[in-house]
Order: sequence, then C-alpha cells, then structure tokens
Amino acid sequence: MSALAEILFGGLFQGSLYAMMAVGLALVWTTIGVFNFSHGVFMMLGAYIAWQLVELGLPAAVAFPIAVVVMAGVGWILQASVVRPLIGRPNIVLVVVITTLAAGSLIENGALTIWGPRSKQIPALIAGNTTIGGVGVSLHQIAIIVITPLILAALWMFLNRTRLGLALRAVAQNEDASHLVGLNVTALYGLAFAIAASLAGLAGIFMGGYRFMSPVMGSDPLLKALIVVVFGGISSISGPIFAAYLIGFFEAACSYYFGLYWTPALLFGVLILTLMVRPEGIFASRSRGLA
Amino acid sequence: MNPILSVEGVTAGYGRVTVLHDISLEAGRFGNVGLFGPNGHGKTTLLRAISGLLQPKSGRILFDGQDIVGHSARAIVGAGLIHVPQGNRLFPDLSIADCMALGAYSPRARPHEAENREKVIKLFPKLAERWRQRVRTLSGGERQMVSIGTALMSHPRLLILDEPTLGLAPKIKDELCASVMDISRGGVPLIVVEQDIEFLLELTQQLYLVNHGAVATEIKPGESLDHGEIMSMYFGH
Ligand SMILES: Nc1ncnc2c1ncn2[C@@H]1O[C@H](COP(=O)(O)OP(=O)(O)O)[C@@H](O)[C@H]1O
Ligand SMILES: [Mg+2]
Repeated sequence: MSALAEILFGGLFQGSLYAMMAVGLALVWTTIGVFNFSHGVFMMLGAYIAWQLVELGLPAAVAFPIAVVVMAGVGWILQASVVRPLIGRPNIVLVVVITTLAAGSLIENGALTIWGPRSKQIPALIAGNTTIGGVGVSLHQIAIIVITPLILAALWMFLNRTRLGLALRAVAQNEDASHLVGLNVTALYGLAFAIAASLAGLAGIFMGGYRFMSPVMGSDPLLKALIVVVFGGISSISGPIFAAYLIGFFEAACSYYFGLYWTPALLFGVLILTLMVRPEGIFASRSRGLA
Repeated sequence: MNPILSVEGVTAGYGRVTVLHDISLEAGRFGNVGLFGPNGHGKTTLLRAISGLLQPKSGRILFDGQDIVGHSARAIVGAGLIHVPQGNRLFPDLSIADCMALGAYSPRARPHEAENREKVIKLFPKLAERWRQRVRTLSGGERQMVSIGTALMSHPRLLILDEPTLGLAPKIKDELCASVMDISRGGVPLIVVEQDIEFLLELTQQLYLVNHGAVATEIKPGESLDHGEIMSMYFGH
C-alpha cells in the first residue's frame, strides 16, 4: 500500500513540474519552430524574482503573481531580442539554440552577480505536512499536484476556446496563411514566449518552495523538459503533458525499486528504445500544431 | 473608373534572384483581371508582393490610390485586399469553423462575421456539412472552398485568387468556377491567376500574359481574342 502511494504521489508531483516546464517548451516550438534553451533560466529567474519580492516584505500571495507577470515580460523581451531578428533566416533552429543558450548563460551569471551563490528558499504555497496512505507528504507538494492540472486546463481552454488562442494555433500551422488573414504574427510569437516564460517562472516558484534555489537550478529541469517533449512528441501540447506524467511515474517507480542512482540510466534507456520505435514521439501526430 | 489596384514598375525576387522585372499592371478599371502565362514566370511572386508577404526591391503598388509597399500583410488585409494563396495548404489541423473565425479576425471584417458566414454557406453548402471537420481530412476541392470561404470572411474589397482550380477533377472544377462567377456577380472585383484560359475569358474583362517577370501582352476589353490566338501567344515566346 505505502509503496503504491509513494510511487503515485512521487509520480504526480514530478509529473506536475515536468508538465509545467515542458508545455512552455512545446508552445514555443509549435508556434515559432525553435527550441528555447533559456527556458530553464526562466524557471530560475521566476523563483529569484519571487524570493526578492518576499524579501522586500511582500506577502507570498502578492509576490508570486507579480513574479509570474514579470516573467511574461522577460519572455517577451527575450523573444524580441534574440529570436525575432532571426526569423526567416536559414538554419534558424540551430541559430536560436545558440542565441538562447547565450542569453540564458548571461541571465544565469547576472543572477549569480545580483543574488550571490548562497542557496535560498521561498515560502511554501501552503506550510505544513500530512500523511496519505502511510506516506508523509508536504502540503506544498499537494498544492502543486492540484494547481498544475488546473493551470494546464486553463491553458488548454485558452488555446481551444478563445479567438486569441485560435490565432496562436493558426500561427503554429501556417505562417503565410496567418499573415493573409491579418494575424499579427510577431505579437503572437511574443505571446507564445511570454506564456512559456510565465509557466516556467511558476514552476520555479513551485520548486523554490521545497528545495534550495541556486542560479543553476533550471538546467536539470530544462533537460527533463526536453526529454519529456522529445518523448511525448513536439507536435502538440497535450503530448508533452501526458509524457510528463508518464515520466514522472516511471521515475518514481524506478527510484523506489532500483534506487535514485539507476533512474536516469533507465529513463534514457526507455527514451532511446521509444525513439527507435516511434521517432516522432509516442503521442505525436504527423504535423506541427497546438491542441 | 479608377483602377482599384495599380502596380507600377515593381521589381522583386528572392535573395539575389530577381523574379519580377519592372512589372506594371492595373486592375479594376474594366472589371475582373486575369493573369496567365507559363509556370515559374512570377505570377505567384507578384501576388505575394501585392499582399505584403514579399517586399519589392523597387516600384509602387497603389491600392485605392494609396501606396501599400512597405505596409504589413496585416495592414493590407485590414484595408480589404485579400489574397487566396496557391495550393490551399491552409491550416491543416483547424476545423472549417476555426478557419472561418480566422477569416473574420481583422477589425474591419469582425462586424460582418455573421452575414459573411451566411454568404459562404450559401455559396458552398458542402462546408456546412463538414463544419467541425479538420481541414487535413477534406478533399482538394473542399479545401479550395475553405480557402476562398476564409477570404470571403475577410470582407474583401478586392479578392486575389492564385490558381483556384489547380489539380481539381473536371466536375469539381466546374462547380468551383461557377462559385467564383457567383462571387464576382456579388460585386467583389477579382484578380485571378489561372491556367484555364476558357475560364479566364468567361470570368474576366482584362487579361495580362506574364512572361519572364514582366507583362508580355495586355488584352483589353474589345480586343477579345479567341482561344487559338491566346494559345499561340502563350507558346510563341
Ligand atoms: N520561396 C522562393 N525562394 C526562391 N525562389 C522562388 C521562391 N518561390 C518562387 N521562386 C522562384 O521564382 C520564380 C517565379 O515563381 P512563381 O512566382 O511561383 O511563378 P508562377 O506563379 O508564375 O508559376 C521561379 O523561378 C521560382 O523558382
Ligand atoms: Mg504560381
């Protein structure tokens, strides 16, 4: 019983964080067709901005939403400075890998200079602990498990039930045709980055509430998000969401039965096998597009 | 009547390759305009320059008397110049309903959305039957209907069609030609690129033969030629 509870809980929790990160990566890929390697830095920056605002005396309930909104602006600015000028160039995918890596490293070192290397922590969403099925868990983690699906559902509703969401899905599928119905393609690109950065920042706030923060805290989640997105298929946002939870459960089960040490090796083993059988990812359809 | 569109000495291309060489033409003075000519000679490139997808290197493009060179595609759509591109690639994973909503995205078209939707459904009843179906699951003819329907949702003041009947089976093609004639009768001036000269002769009042990125011959009303003469112009070069 407690084994199952532990795996279930661990999987839901890790899956939530991975989904939150991966969805932003997928959103940017499907709309603009580039991989954003500063996505992990967005996560870190969101956490540090939240920490700073709390440090300045704001209550968490005010500080966290402000940090998320500030991250939207950061995402927009990053897009306008290192992605937009390159759109239409040949090799844009590779070039943007380099420019976003460079921007990310700049921001990371900026954070190190401003905030120093000492580990920090931000307040939990809800303080305290409880036991479920014989497993001790923090209320913070439970809050994350509950809030994440709500946010992902809201994102899905936005993309599928609003005119602006429709415009984002359209840009993801055909840029010329989007111009020809009068969409502001540049603004939609900015919006995709802004949403992705906000979600990453929120993931950072989630993480900073139960683990010590450092300027490099985003690199491992970025790697995981990439795995999730490759595994789930980059052609939609629902694929990566399912894949995120699947990988969350897989990791939880592995570390329960084989130990934390073996988990990454097993994960990569499964990933490689999957890609040999289905190179487009397990949940992917043939084309690029948001749904 | 003043021309609604005039292209004056436009030179344009891709990178270092120049496709259009100082091309000039006018539309809307006598009615619909047809463009024809061999493949790869710049008809599509010209339309892309007109709708703002491609920046000309030089020249002017006047829409309703205003130079639109350098305007964004969005601004040009906003002014009512609507371009249905070649090849109906559209939005493969959106439904017909989604496409129609996108067509009415510009502030100019938004107030007319319901009225234009009625028109599209009346023109293409088939689309209503498949309203929630994804574009990728439609036949070529149906996709072309969605392309044109989307453009009508944009409340066009001038409608540009790039090879609307390309690759369609004869029966479907005839239906589509009839629909395009209907659109024209509804009062929307057209610029149509077509390989089917018979259709162009029926639909348009003024023809341009585009060859090597320039106008080789202009056929004005009253100078109507027969099919044979046009074919000899076509292949005579
Ligand atoms: N995206 C592009 N990049 C480079 N060259 C192009 C591109 N599109 C078309 N061309 C070239 O421009 C020329 C004119 O093409 P196009 O305007 O499509 O002709 P048409 O519509 O008359 O068949 C052709 O030689 C074609 O190869
Ligand atoms: Mg063409």
